[in-house]
Amino acid sequence: MSTFKHARLANNLDIIAEVMPTTKTAAIGFMVKTGARDENPSVSGVSHFLEHMMFKGTRSRSAADINREFDALGARNNAFTSNEVTCYWAQILPEYLAPTLDILADMMRPALRVEDFDMEKNVILEEISLYLDKPGHILYERIMEDHFQSHPLAHSILGSKESIGALTQIQMREYFDQHYGPGNMVLAAAGQINFDELVQMAEHACGQWPSLSVQRSYPPVNPAARRHHIQDDKLKRHYLCTLCPGPSAQDMDRFSATILADVIGDHDGSRLFWSLIEPGLAEEADFSAFLHDGLGSFLGYASCDPARAALVEETMVKEFIRVRNAGVAEEEMARSKTKIATSAVLSGELPLGRMRNLCSQWIYNREFRTLEEDLAELNKVNVNRIGELLEKYPLAPLTLTTLGPGEK
Amino acid sequence: MNQTAPMMRVDRLDNGLTLVMERMPDVQSASMVLAIMAGASYDPEHGVGSGNVLSDWILRGAGDRDSRGLTAELDSLGVQRSCAVDTVFLRFSASLLAEKLPDVIPLVADIFQRARLPEDGFNACRDLALGQIDAIDDEPSQKLNVLLRQQHLPPPLGRPTLGVKEHVAALSAADLRLDYERRFTPDGAILSIAGRISFEQMHEIAEKSFGSWTGPKASMATIGVSPGGSRHVLQETNQVQIGLAFDAVPEREPESILAMLAVNVLSGGMGARLFTEIREKQGLCYAVHAGYQSLRTQGMIMGYAGTVPERAQRTLDAFVHELKRISGGITADELERARIGMKSRVVMNGESTGARAAALLHDMYHLGRPRSLDELRHRVEAPTLADVNKYLDAHPVQQFTLVTIGPAELAAPN
Repeated sequence: MSTFKHARLANNLDIIAEVMPTTKTAAIGFMVKTGARDENPSVSGVSHFLEHMMFKGTRSRSAADINREFDALGARNNAFTSNEVTCYWAQILPEYLAPTLDILADMMRPALRVEDFDMEKNVILEEISLYLDKPGHILYERIMEDHFQSHPLAHSILGSKESIGALTQIQMREYFDQHYGPGNMVLAAAGQINFDELVQMAEHACGQWPSLSVQRSYPPVNPAARRHHIQDDKLKRHYLCTLCPGPSAQDMDRFSATILADVIGDHDGSRLFWSLIEPGLAEEADFSAFLHDGLGSFLGYASCDPARAALVEETMVKEFIRVRNAGVAEEEMARSKTKIATSAVLSGELPLGRMRNLCSQWIYNREFRTLEEDLAELNKVNVNRIGELLEKYPLAPLTLTTLGPGEK
Repeated sequence: MNQTAPMMRVDRLDNGLTLVMERMPDVQSASMVLAIMAGASYDPEHGVGSGNVLSDWILRGAGDRDSRGLTAELDSLGVQRSCAVDTVFLRFSASLLAEKLPDVIPLVADIFQRARLPEDGFNACRDLALGQIDAIDDEPSQKLNVLLRQQHLPPPLGRPTLGVKEHVAALSAADLRLDYERRFTPDGAILSIAGRISFEQMHEIAEKSFGSWTGPKASMATIGVSPGGSRHVLQETNQVQIGLAFDAVPEREPESILAMLAVNVLSGGMGARLFTEIREKQGLCYAVHAGYQSLRTQGMIMGYAGTVPERAQRTLDAFVHELKRISGGITADELERARIGMKSRVVMNGESTGARAAALLHDMYHLGRPRSLDELRHRVEAPTLADVNKYLDAHPVQQFTLVTIGPAELAAPN
């Protein structure tokens, strides 16, 4: 049986863990509550570039040391940056918890050397180029801009070639100093963990980090019906994305929203599956609840033959209207609950899956929920609650952004 | 609690189907894969892509359930599933709560033996397959992978698993129904199950569900000659896509572990040679890696790098330099890091029922028997530095296949 543990250091660093005695591995990571939405547009892309720089060395380690030491522990490790968080993680065998935390904690106080910064800038520019060859990514960035407009969730995670080109090491240092305070992050672990030892090690490795007050801004969003087509005649397929308001990561309606989204757009057996994929109109179609800090949205996506662009769009929008007007049926809701519960149990069996889940819950809600509590909450959802959710969030107004060959 | 190694069992049904199982008492889930020899290499010569279209069509009703009935039943059981083809197999994979598995296996048996293949679903399945093939053109890194396999492997092993567009466009429902009769056969089929299961119960269900399944022998076209050499595809991309491949011993040869250890020195973790030399020290690209893959008859190492046109030639040259340099041998430190990385991945993959079900299938195909986690760990621990270096010396990296996609051609390394 898993147990949850929590401790807080004097500098406000929270340490949380789910001890899973039957697992044979452990996962550990720092999640920092900072991402593209926390950037001033003049440093667009700095959160993600900084994530790379955290691997480039500390006062006592070079980049090569960090990589070699992780490899010598047999760690599977990486990091990611989103609009809202930056996370550094490692999956390891339990006996290597101490040296792994030693590296990770050291990385969280990076040297940010100018020569490393200049070299890594090339890698970031390559990553930007890589994503420019991925239509799904281009469309995602554009619809975030179209939907969120002046709200900071519109910010690009990677930044642009121009913003990265102009970024200086001094600007990055400033951004680090303003956002990487111990109270703005969480140290989480899951799996085969000795929690008391973990806290002791964290006290030693992170206890000296100075406290810092960090504020995130929460301006309002002004959703409106908008559409935008990006023409790219090199593409063979047509890509379509929708965004509309939904509940936030803090809102208890998120459980209803997850079920509603599954009914509408899971990859198997959903309404979009039957109306778009099964008849062969679109090779991809999905719809999901997109939970952010303080607000939320529903994200839809499809790709199809350009000749069928109008039909696919019309079919998708019709499904939104149908569910808004008539809600969901008991049986489809029950099937979605079962699918979501199964998926939660499967990812909950793996320490890395649990660690990621713990981090997000803590960053967004400052709480711990067991898998069982989440499943119980999911089970409480009924068709009436989904009806109420649809009154609050009627899948409108809709931002619709498309990408493909030809004019629209 | 039973802390001994997970137990495994192999049963063979009279009709040729192999059942391979592993009991994992610490989990709540179970995963299964049913794989038949209907991958792209087994597609008809002028019907490359048939297996891929069938992998969709068979899910549109089976036994006494129509398309909606079948999907609703699988969803009600919470089955996370996929059905897809690779070079060798057409496989239906599922992960779910272990207690539901006894209800799912009979459904899978219906799909593989009594698919309805409804007339009205055929055009949709074919259109979807054509759409998938077109979509590859919009994703240059995926396209590179398809082209590199085609260039490096001999036909029919190098065929694109999604199919050839002209072949798929010309398929008829009648062709595919015949193909289903011919290729959905227990000969060479493997049912792999891992999770919280009882061997006896699984055996009984498999026997009941698949025992009366009959069909012809699975057969593949004669293996031809690999095109090899180099190929450039002109396309206006932001990054030049670089793919390199060369031969290695197949997995069934005991020496394959030496090739795998060497590849991990090249590209195991972030401290490995390709990442360190090409990305960290020179900043030439974001993605650069190499991996070992094996078919039954041949193994290969496939490498990838993506970079902007201005840096592409330097990246290719640096990549080839690293591949050639490894023939000169690795150090004891490098071997130890590669070894511990591989050992800890054995344990990590051992926690996931899906990963174990796939690994058991892999072992049955390549070695004819499943390997326990202990055996996999021991295999990584056994070789000495001299063993690996002797292998590298005896198998120098000389003959590359090179495929590039981008606005300008690069100078080939051979």
